[in-house]
Amino acid sequence: METVENGDSSTQAPVQGISVHDFSEKIMEQLVHFHVMKLSGGFFLWIGSGPVLSNLAVAIASKHDSMPLSTLVLGDTSDTTASSLAQRLTKKTKKQVFVSYNLPMTNSNLALLVEDRIKKEMELHPDQF
Amino acid sequence: MAPQPVIRSRQMEKAINGIPTQVVCTEFSNYIFIVLTQYGKIGTLVSITPDTRSGDISVPMFTTRVLLGKDEPLTHVYAKNVTTFVSQESGNRPVLLGLSLKDNSAETMKTVKDMIKGCQVW
Repeated sequence: METVENGDSSTQAPVQGISVHDFSEKIMEQLVHFHVMKLSGGFFLWIGSGPVLSNLAVAIASKHDSMPLSTLVLGDTSDTTASSLAQRLTKKTKKQVFVSYNLPMTNSNLALLVEDRIKKEMELHPDQF
Repeated sequence: MAPQPVIRSRQMEKAINGIPTQVVCTEFSNYIFIVLTQYGKIGTLVSITPDTRSGDISVPMFTTRVLLGKDEPLTHVYAKNVTTFVSQESGNRPVLLGLSLKDNSAETMKTVKDMIKGCQVW
């Protein structure tokens, strides 16, 4: 007998379907929200404290280089936080990764802790990425 | 108890002419993000922005831009067709559309639009 939990799409197991996963963590006195959309061969990851989408970067693995290719498709190109995070997540997962980073860019410590939190979630819930 | 997510999203899956089709709508304060796919991917990424011209009450104009992927005329037409109503209903917010369909027919487009309506987050 098959059991399907209601109310949370992430607990269901659709055939190659897109699933959504949310988690939050208080990091440096700030509540940071994470929203993951699992796609076929990749995932979309939004990070922020309020519901704004101010940039979007994408990274894919390169055949010719061990470092993935990464680019910003939306937002201020002088800010490299989103694209470098996408690049590192692609390097780790070998997947196509979309990242939208919506926290103050001035704080690089925060960015490091945020990245650690993402990696922890990937270990806890590898099926959600 | 975990805090409530700040991002609201709704999704739907339906077979159109036998092809599994997925729609995921996500609400941001400054964008509505829609993934429309028969591949399970974001595919071509298009932004649809309403042109703001004060004092103009005629048919609203939209600017479409392919941010990622193949820039074909059909993509612009398709994107405008399926998302302008979303922008209008969401207080003229721009729409970010991930588009990857195997079937680009007009009949499929109708069904797809109904699916987007069914995933209203705005």
